[in-house]
Amino acid sequence: MSGKLKIETVGDREIRGERVFDAPREKVWAALTDPELIPQWWGPRQYTTVVDVMDVRPGGQWRFVHQAEEGSDEHGFRGVYREVTEPERIVQTFEWEGMPGHIAVETMELEDLGDGRTKINTVSLFHTTEERDGMFNSGMEGGASETYDRLEELLASQG
Amino acid sequence: MVQYESELDKTLAALADSNRRALVERLGRGSATVSELAEPLGMTLTGTKKHLRILEEAGLVTTEKVGRARVCSLGPRRLDDLEVFVESYRRMLDARLDRLGELVEKQQKEDEG
Repeated sequence: MSGKLKIETVGDREIRGERVFDAPREKVWAALTDPELIPQWWGPRQYTTVVDVMDVRPGGQWRFVHQAEEGSDEHGFRGVYREVTEPERIVQTFEWEGMPGHIAVETMELEDLGDGRTKINTVSLFHTTEERDGMFNSGMEGGASETYDRLEELLASQG
Repeated sequence: MVQYESELDKTLAALADSNRRALVERLGRGSATVSELAEPLGMTLTGTKKHLRILEEAGLVTTEKVGRARVCSLGPRRLDDLEVFVESYRRMLDARLDRLGELVEKQQKEDEG
């Protein structure tokens, strides 16, 4: 790949990522917004990703499901598109159903580098749903064993 | 930041084992000796000690010699829910961007070819 630049954590509430792809912006935009292309890249390689809901417009919802194999546990992910500006910017929320209550607000910006390449900048901000709803939740309880089990599966699947 | 990440990796690795998670859960209900931990979980003393050492290195458990027994308690490091979410999210995002790049670059090559 042409540019695995970096992903860094800024404080404990923000992650910024930056990549350069050797493909024009329209192609990258299509991969991000076409439900038929999502299963080809969104999930971990060894998982099947199914697009359950994908309504790419402000206020529209999305929900994708990972499954390692037929009959095994499913991992659901969901969110809402907040901004959709073709072909340069998408803002959406991200929530893992295995750990409800934490959401990330992802902003992806696609920059046309003018030479057939595209730079993606991502910024992900983390909130709890209580914060999203206007309250501050300072006492985060330790995860239950079920969360650890599901986390372990998830991390293992990422390789 | 590097320090923080290696600590977190150690913690996640320590918890990536169901026996060790069982030990942490048991200690969450109060301190116990090695044999008190091993028996109800159906683990050997040697195996229990090995797992406890890994948990101790990750700061999740502390042990203290009292008389002839070794008493174990939960350690200084408590796993924060948000921390776990952010770390697992970071790994997912990284993997996702890798695969997105592979897909669009493959499509682009096919178009050019």
